[in-house]
Amino acid sequence: MKLVIQINGAARELEILEPGPNCRYRFAQAAERTANVELPEPGAYSILTNGRVYEARVEETPAGLVVLVDGHRFEIDVQDPRRWRSKAAGGGGEGVAAVRAPMPGKVVRVLVAAGDSVAAGQGLVVVEAMKMQNEMKAPRAGRIIKIAVEAGSAVSAGEVLATIE
Amino acid sequence: MFRKVLVANRGEIAVRVIRALREMGIGSVAVYSDADRTALHVRLADEAVRLGPAPSSESYLRIDGILEAARAHGANAIHPGYGFLSENADFAAACDEAGITFIGPSAESIRRMGSKTEARRTALAAGAPVTPGIDHAITLAEARQFALEHSYPILLKAVAGGGGKGMRRVDTAHDLDSAFRDASSEAERAFRNPDLYVEKLIERPRHIEIQLIGDRHGNMIHLGERECSIQRRHQKVMEECPSPLVAGHPEMRREMGEAAIRAARSAGYYNAGTVEFLVDQQRRFYFLEMNTRLQVEHPVTELVTGLDLVKLQIQVAAGQPLPYTQENIDWRGAAIECRIYAEDPANNFLPSPGKLTRLSRPLGPGIRLDGAVYAGSTVPIDYDPLLAKLAVWAPTREEAADRMVRALREYDVGGIRTNIMFFRGILEDPEFREARLHTGFIEEFFQRYRPEAPSADVWEAAALAAALHTLSRAPAAAQSNDARKNAWLETGRNSLLR
Repeated sequence: MKLVIQINGAARELEILEPGPNCRYRFAQAAERTANVELPEPGAYSILTNGRVYEARVEETPAGLVVLVDGHRFEIDVQDPRRWRSKAAGGGGEGVAAVRAPMPGKVVRVLVAAGDSVAAGQGLVVVEAMKMQNEMKAPRAGRIIKIAVEAGSAVSAGEVLATIE
Repeated sequence: MFRKVLVANRGEIAVRVIRALREMGIGSVAVYSDADRTALHVRLADEAVRLGPAPSSESYLRIDGILEAARAHGANAIHPGYGFLSENADFAAACDEAGITFIGPSAESIRRMGSKTEARRTALAAGAPVTPGIDHAITLAEARQFALEHSYPILLKAVAGGGGKGMRRVDTAHDLDSAFRDASSEAERAFRNPDLYVEKLIERPRHIEIQLIGDRHGNMIHLGERECSIQRRHQKVMEECPSPLVAGHPEMRREMGEAAIRAARSAGYYNAGTVEFLVDQQRRFYFLEMNTRLQVEHPVTELVTGLDLVKLQIQVAAGQPLPYTQENIDWRGAAIECRIYAEDPANNFLPSPGKLTRLSRPLGPGIRLDGAVYAGSTVPIDYDPLLAKLAVWAPTREEAADRMVRALREYDVGGIRTNIMFFRGILEDPEFREARLHTGFIEEFFQRYRPEAPSADVWEAAALAAALHTLSRAPAAAQSNDARKNAWLETGRNSLLR
């Protein structure tokens, strides 16, 4: 089964010839490899390959999979070209960008208004969580088309605070 | 001895105190807000009382509610932990009036040492060195005059302050006006008191503090020092005992210990307390402030001295004399503590509250973990995001650092971000290993820190795990017959559904 793996933004093809526990697989243009894979705990994959042990912790998030191996963090999107499970790639320099709350909290201040031109990195909205105030910044330069919150609003993680054009 | 003690706190420190009470055969009463009904401290206590809604001002800071809970449950003493009401003189006084023992110093000692300026005057009168400064609320003009006499840089600080709030470093006369205004309004917001005082700034100081414990019969000893120079935004994140500097200059422990005892004695101090010093490049030490409570970082002192500070607090609060004299105290080996927070180091340490989906704790030789979370528990947005304190002990500092790296590798927290990897970076940093510490260490560390890129093997293991995980999670109807026949995938799916 051929899959396209997006890891931290970079795409690579991975063909699973046989799933676990005695897994055979091949990365694009590379030789076939084998790995013994077990799932000793939910979300914890123990991988033996080339005589070495790797522990991969897999977590499902709304934005895709997060995989931790030896302290390294990978944001991964797995696409099966036959079954279209892809997501639109975001974060380009053009079009409309949304600034989202990274955590639940409360809006303490709104620093800009709709119609304002902002520079990349400029503070837009101050959100307080756990007694800490955090300034949400513009991901790039542009014009504010909408401020979706006001001072005092409670916001949940992922909620859109402002949109930039 | 007390029959029952109410613990007026939450999180790991409430758990820490409840554990000591259980070992001493004393009943425990937990208090909780609506955000904490299923928190570990409630689950571990003998009895528990709801205080109110999640905001601290309506729960953990409610003096009336806490005293009412203590009375209703027949607690004869209250342990305040750290933070919340622990350094609130009114609370200590209210406990006295209610006939309930406050496990800490007297309200009068808290008041005297709680005011930074009065604490400085007390320390100075007791012969403890202090940095040049003005020990009362000042005007902008007085700050300008002070800077003329002592030269920049200077440090503006809040009279009622703590935790770096209302504090500003000023390097030039040009910056003084705005720094004064900002610090004052920050102090007003944080402490409802805009008053500032001024000190000469010490460049690249170490933060070294002395742990004290005294009884109500006039006995007081010190339990040595802790090095707390690894700070971020004036908050300690990593502490060790002994201080590597003091370990190389043993006379410093005696001199600082004696200065700390003199300052505390002159404030009529008893129970546990900590005197903080700044130490300059010439190893001169200056009184900074006194914390009139148990410190977050007390475990490193316990690991190296073999004592239990919480039990000692409870014993001396019950009127027992200290069971040790200064000659009995010995320091063995080295301990390091990391404060594990729900925060994202890759994203400016933004808090990362939420539900813990996975939790694997480090175990094995020399590990001590004081935590208040479990797999499935939620880190609420309402409080300090401290998950746990991971402390290690080893015969030497080098071995303790290696052990901490090992422990951090075993520590896995899923569902939220943590600063675990950040600590691995510090512990492997050559400057840290050589103990060239100062309070600006972390800022400089970030300038030189280049996280190691994952090897190709690690990268491929991550990709493979993600692929297999996605295949095992695919809806049954969409799965190929090959996959369906595969026992491993069935097992995997079942264990994921558990």
